[in-house]
Amino acid sequence: MPTYNLYMGCSVPANYPNYEAALLKVAKALDVELNYMEGVGCCGSPNLRAFDYYGWLVVNARTLAIGEQNGHDIVTPCNGCFASLKDALYHLRHDKKDMKRVNEELKKFDLELRGTVRVRHVVEALYTDVGVDAIREKVTRPLDGVGIAIHAGCHLMRPADVTEMSIEILEEMLRATGATVVQYPLWKQCCGATVLPVNEALAVRLARDKLRSIKDAGAEFIMVVCPACGNQLDLQQFGIKDTYGEGYDLPVLFYPQILALAMGMDEEEVGLSMNRVPADPILDHLTE
Amino acid sequence: MTETDGSERPPATLIEPIDMSTLDASFRREIQSMPDGDELSACFACTTCTAACPIANQWEYKPHQLIRMIILGMRDEVLSSKEIWECLTCFQCQERCPQKVRVTDIIFDCKNLAAEEGKIPDAIRNLARELLEKGQLYVITADWEREDLDLEPELPGLSTEEFKTILRNTRTGRIVGGE
Amino acid sequence: MILSDKVLIIGGGVAGLTAAIELADSGVKTVLVERQHTVGGNALDLYKAFPTDDCFYCFEASRFRPGIRKCFYRSALLDHPNLELRTNTTVEAVAGSPGNFEVTLMVGPQYVDPMRCIMCGLCQKLSSAFVLISPQCQPQAVVYVPDQADDNVKEAVEKCPTKAINLEAQPTEEVIRASDIVVATGYHEMKPVGMEEYHYEELPDVVTQLELARMLDPNGETSGQLVRPSDGGPVKHVMMVQCVGSRDENYYPYCSKICCVFALKHADIIAQEREGVQVSVVYMDIRTYDRHERYYRKSRRAGVNFIRGRVQTVSKAKDGGLEVIVYDSLLDRYLKFRVDLFVLSTALEPSAESNEMAQMLGIRTSNGFVASLDPTSGDEVIVGDHVYACGTALGPAEVPESVTQARAVALKILQGRK
Repeated sequence: MPTYNLYMGCSVPANYPNYEAALLKVAKALDVELNYMEGVGCCGSPNLRAFDYYGWLVVNARTLAIGEQNGHDIVTPCNGCFASLKDALYHLRHDKKDMKRVNEELKKFDLELRGTVRVRHVVEALYTDVGVDAIREKVTRPLDGVGIAIHAGCHLMRPADVTEMSIEILEEMLRATGATVVQYPLWKQCCGATVLPVNEALAVRLARDKLRSIKDAGAEFIMVVCPACGNQLDLQQFGIKDTYGEGYDLPVLFYPQILALAMGMDEEEVGLSMNRVPADPILDHLTE
Repeated sequence: MTETDGSERPPATLIEPIDMSTLDASFRREIQSMPDGDELSACFACTTCTAACPIANQWEYKPHQLIRMIILGMRDEVLSSKEIWECLTCFQCQERCPQKVRVTDIIFDCKNLAAEEGKIPDAIRNLARELLEKGQLYVITADWEREDLDLEPELPGLSTEEFKTILRNTRTGRIVGGE
Repeated sequence: MILSDKVLIIGGGVAGLTAAIELADSGVKTVLVERQHTVGGNALDLYKAFPTDDCFYCFEASRFRPGIRKCFYRSALLDHPNLELRTNTTVEAVAGSPGNFEVTLMVGPQYVDPMRCIMCGLCQKLSSAFVLISPQCQPQAVVYVPDQADDNVKEAVEKCPTKAINLEAQPTEEVIRASDIVVATGYHEMKPVGMEEYHYEELPDVVTQLELARMLDPNGETSGQLVRPSDGGPVKHVMMVQCVGSRDENYYPYCSKICCVFALKHADIIAQEREGVQVSVVYMDIRTYDRHERYYRKSRRAGVNFIRGRVQTVSKAKDGGLEVIVYDSLLDRYLKFRVDLFVLSTALEPSAESNEMAQMLGIRTSNGFVASLDPTSGDEVIVGDHVYACGTALGPAEVPESVTQARAVALKILQGRK
C-alpha cells in the first residue's frame, strides 16, 4: 500500500475541510495511506519567502527533515505548501553552504536534513503511484462528459525545474472521472491570490479575466488543486458581481471532490455545500 | 502681455540624466550572491519576461526594466518600487526567459533586501506579525465543520511553537519587533 | 592554359596569403604583391582574432604544412619555390587580355635585403631610420625609412654583420605576365572624422576598435596597458558604441558584420584580463550571428554592461576622461557616465586599393567593394574573366570566411587548368 507523509498545511484544514475530507476518503478508497505528519507547522507561504527568505528556508527545512526520517514521500494538497517545500529543497540541494547553515539550526530540534526526501503534490502521487487505470476502475458513476476547466495554479507548475509537474497529469486525472477537459486561452494565468494583500483590485481583475476565459471556452465547472486558488476563484465571483456586474456562476471544485463523487460518495461526504458558488449542479452530471 | 494671476510657474525644466556615479554598482553582485540570482548577468534585455507578465502593462517599471535597473545599480529605485511587491510570483517570466535568468526568484531576492531595509508594505508587515503571533497563516475556527466531515476538530500533528521560535530569530522577528 | 602560367595576387592579408600559399602548394607559380613592408594586412593589428582567440600572428592554416612552424609569418614565405613575394610594391597598370595579363609593378627600393637581415638590432640602435615593424613581420627584416635618415645610417651600413643594407637601392618597374589575377585588397577601418556626436580626433580618448586592439596588444605602443591617450591616466571605464557608420544611410548602409564580435572580444579581454576596469557597450542590435553568440553571453557574464540605445553627447570631463550621456531605450532614461576610453565600432569600408584595382581591371563594385560577376551563381569569388576576389575586398568578412573564399579562388583557378 503506498504510504505517504501528509503535509496538510494550514489553509486546507482551516478554510477547506471539504477538500481535506474528500482527499482522505478518496485515498482510503484507493488503498493509499496518508499519515498526517507529526509536529509540523506552517510553511509560511511564498509571502514569508518574500520578506524572510532565511526564516522561510529553516521552517521548511524542518518539515522536510521530519519527513525524511521515515523514508516516505511528503505529499500536500496545497500549492503554496508544495512550492515552499519544493523550492526550499531545491535551493538547499543546490547550495551546500545554506544546507550546512540550515542544518546548524535544525540541530536545535534534533533534526538533520540530507536532502533525500521527495516532495509531491498529492494528486501527482495518486496519478503516478496508483495510476489512472486503477482510479478509473473505482469510478462507479462517471461524469457525463461535462466540460470542466482546470486551473492548475502557478506554484504547482512553475518553475518547471523545481516543480517537476506537467498539466497532462491533472488532465488525465480529470478525464478518469468521465469529465471533459475544457482548454481555455488563459490557462496559465495566475488566479490573483498572491497579490490580494497589496492590491486587491488587481487580484479581482486577474480572477475575473481568468473566469471569463473559462466561461468563454464553454466550461461549466472549474477544477482546482489548491486552497488559495480555489478560494480566489470561488469567492471572488461574488466580488466580481459587485465590481464588474458580471456573474460567472462557475462552481469551483477540488479534484478529490470530483473524484469522490464519481466514485459513488455522496455530497455530504465531500462537503459540497461548503463550496461558495453552489456546486450541486455537478450532481446532475453523475451517471447512475 | 497677458495678465497673470500670480501663480505663474517656471517653464518645465529638462530632467537631468541619471548620474551613474550616484548609483550602486555593487547591487548586481549583491543580487547575484543571493538565492538563484547568479544568472542575472545573462540577461540580454530581450523583454520576453515583460511579454510573459500578465500584469506588467500597468507597471511603471516592467520586469525587464527592473532587471536592467539591478544591473545598472539603481538599488533604491528597485527596492522602493511597488512592482516588486505586486509580483504575482506566477513564474511565467522566469519560465520563458531564453537565458535562464531566474527573474521571479530575483524579484523575491529584491523583496528580501527591501524588507531588510524596512521598505515593506503595511499589509505584508501585518502578515509577518500574524505569522509570528499565530505560528501559522490560517487558524481553524469552525471545528464543527470539520467534525461534520468526520475530521478531527484540530489538525492532527500540528505544532506551531517551532515555527514561532525560528521566525522570532530571523528577519520576521526583526520586522515585527522593530515596531 | 598551362600550369606554368603565373597567378598574380594583389594584397598580402589573410585572404591573399591563403590564396598564394594554396596555389603555390598546388604547383602554381604565384606572385604576391603587398603595398606595405610586411604581409598580414589588418590581421596584424587585431591582437587576438575570433573565432579562435589566437594571437593572430599564428594562423590555423599552417598547422598542416610540414617544415613550417605553426607561426605563419615565420614561415618559409620567402623560400617557397612557387611563390614570389613583392612587398613595398604596387600595381601600376594592367594590360593584355584575360588569360594573358601584362601587369606593371612598381617595386619600392629594397634597402634591406630580407634574405640577409638577421634582425640583430644593431642598425636600430644606431639610427631611428631603421625600424622593426613587428617582431612577427614577414619578411623577417628591418625596414629602412629614408625620411628619418641621420648621420649614423652610414655607420649602420658598415657595421651590419650580414651586409644586408644598401642605401643606394632604387625603385624598379617590373612587368610580369599573369594568366589570372586575384584581388585581395582587404578593407579599411572607417575613421569617423566629422561624426559630430563622437568627436573622434578632437578628443584623444575617443578611439576606434582597431586602435583599441593596438592598445591591448602586448606588442603595441603601451605594451598592453590601458591608459588614457589624453593624459596617460588609468582607464577604469571603457565604453564602446556599436554601428558607427554602419547601417547608416549617411555613411554605409550595410551591417559591417564583424564589429559586434570584434567589440565583444575586446570587452571580454578587458573584463577578464584587466582588473577593475568596467566595460559598457552601447548598441542598437547585437549581431553575434551563428556560434559567435558565445562572445555575447560570455561578456555579459563577465559583467559587461549592455545599454540598448544611442549616445547623446560625449564631452571632456572636468577631472580628465570623458562624460558620456546615453539614452537607454529599454529604460527610457538618460544615463550619464564618466568614462576614460570611448571606443567606436566603426564600419568596415572598402580599401582605396579595391577601388583602384576595380577601375584598372574594369570590374564592378557594390557599395565600393569588389562585386561578384554573378552574385546568384554561387561562385561569388569570380569577379571578372580570369579575375577573382577574396576576403574583405568582397565585403565585410570574418577571418574563416576570408580563408574559405581564398581557397575557393585557388580551386577555381586549378579547375581552369585541368
